[in-house]
Amino acid sequence: MTAQDIVARIQQQLASQKITWRTETVDTFKAGDPATPIGGIATTGMATFSVLKRAAKANRNFVITHEPTFYNHQDQTAALAQDATYEAKQRFITDHRLVVWRFHDHAHALRPDPLVVGSARALGWTAHASATEPRIYNVPATTLGALAADIARRLKGRAIRVAGDPSMNVTRVALGPGYGVPALTTSVDVVVGGEASESGGNSEYLADAVAAGQAKGVILLGHMLSEDFGMFEVAEWLRRFLTDLPVEWISAGEPFS
Amino acid sequence: MRMTRRAFVQAAVPMLAAPRPASTARAELTVAQCVDRIRAAVGTWREKTVDGFKAGDPSVALTGIAVTVAARLENLRKAASAGCNLVITQEPVFYGANDDPGNRASDAVYLAKKAYIEQAKLVVWRFSDHWSARQPDPRVAALAETLGWQDGPGADNIYRIPETSVSSLTALVSQRLGLRGGMRTTGPADMRVRTVLVSPGTTDLASTVARLKGADVVLAGEPREWEVVPYVLDAREAGAAKALISVGRLVSEEPGMRACAAWIRTLVPGMKVEALPVSDPFWNAAS
Repeated sequence: MTAQDIVARIQQQLASQKITWRTETVDTFKAGDPATPIGGIATTGMATFSVLKRAAKANRNFVITHEPTFYNHQDQTAALAQDATYEAKQRFITDHRLVVWRFHDHAHALRPDPLVVGSARALGWTAHASATEPRIYNVPATTLGALAADIARRLKGRAIRVAGDPSMNVTRVALGPGYGVPALTTSVDVVVGGEASESGGNSEYLADAVAAGQAKGVILLGHMLSEDFGMFEVAEWLRRFLTDLPVEWISAGEPFS
Repeated sequence: MRMTRRAFVQAAVPMLAAPRPASTARAELTVAQCVDRIRAAVGTWREKTVDGFKAGDPSVALTGIAVTVAARLENLRKAASAGCNLVITQEPVFYGANDDPGNRASDAVYLAKKAYIEQAKLVVWRFSDHWSARQPDPRVAALAETLGWQDGPGADNIYRIPETSVSSLTALVSQRLGLRGGMRTTGPADMRVRTVLVSPGTTDLASTVARLKGADVVLAGEPREWEVVPYVLDAREAGAAKALISVGRLVSEEPGMRACAAWIRTLVPGMKVEALPVSDPFWNAAS
């Protein structure tokens, strides 16, 4: 089976789940030859050079990545053409007959969104999901400080950033994967997400809410600690219909020390 | 309406309310005229920009200027109690890149902020695109100066520093910028450092890829975690000794806005110009 055959099977499966393949999408081949015979599949939050090395070693030569391979959302490489890091990564992919394909837009289109499911599972919140409101979790009464400490312990996060008063009470949390950090509003205590700009959003809102007398919190897990676990869920989903190949999740992990 | 506001401000500020000859420029200076002076000093003004008035009536008499990286409610209160009715902010005041409150238009926090601005008769003006575009970038020099670096910027905003390690550099940056949880690094603690690419604000991929060839470390404001962050990780995997220190967008631009306040002081001699600080909003979940 080639990488191209596997993508065709994924597209068939999506169609059977009533998800139409988009004409405009970042879910395309990023590197390697799609006609390459595949010995195994690795899913990952991001096809970093380290992930590619681990995939090659494990003979998982088809790498399915959620985030870009070449450091920008469209994986445009023209500006990287003479760059030593880019050239070394491309050379490694060629030498090890790897194929890299992105599964982002259509992964988020699955219901439930495996990126949210994976985050919730890693946080131990699956049972706390609201039955009626997507992305809302009613956690057992706690404080922002205790919640943050529990999250850091579960995810083994070294660089999880928290804003807000550690002693504030928390029961209602909104969870969003990656760059889709939910907007902080008066109706939730805390939002938990991956990565967000400090400009034009939750950062200012939180400061203003606190100044206006409302306790609010923001927990930024980091992009990978927020979406890497979702690609574990995607590996489980792939195993259901790709029964003739090994499928393994390779963690990209937290980039910060 | 305008006359009423002006009368209110003059009543609240006895110095300005005192009768003065018509030729006294200071008493005549409105907020709008002050901003015109800043725009004139900038030079060419872009047609498309986020910079401009975001709230309040610019026709009122100027009482003082508060300059800040983020016009949070707390800083608006500080500005008002310091007698400054013009607040100049680098970041948005209403939670959207274009200060459009969007879904928050009927939100209690948004409405409270808007009401406070009206009640305190403040004017909020955003100064981001044009400040950041000045050459050389004043944010770079101000950040480097706060860190005690003088040997630079060379071409490409690179500073030469006394040889140190990533861990010592991280400690210095953390201490000088008052960082808490906002500090994040990639790279080995014992890596040697002689050159630093200073990249406050949005640390974009193109300039980092081009410039990091000439520097050991990139000191970043807000590097995207699918752009500069994995690029530095991969550079290390490819065998290059590179590291990244990320301090957060607001903290990285804070020294620049202090420099901005000093620059504005030269444009309105005798006028009160306050720099209002914004500190690292984050703490670390594991600490």
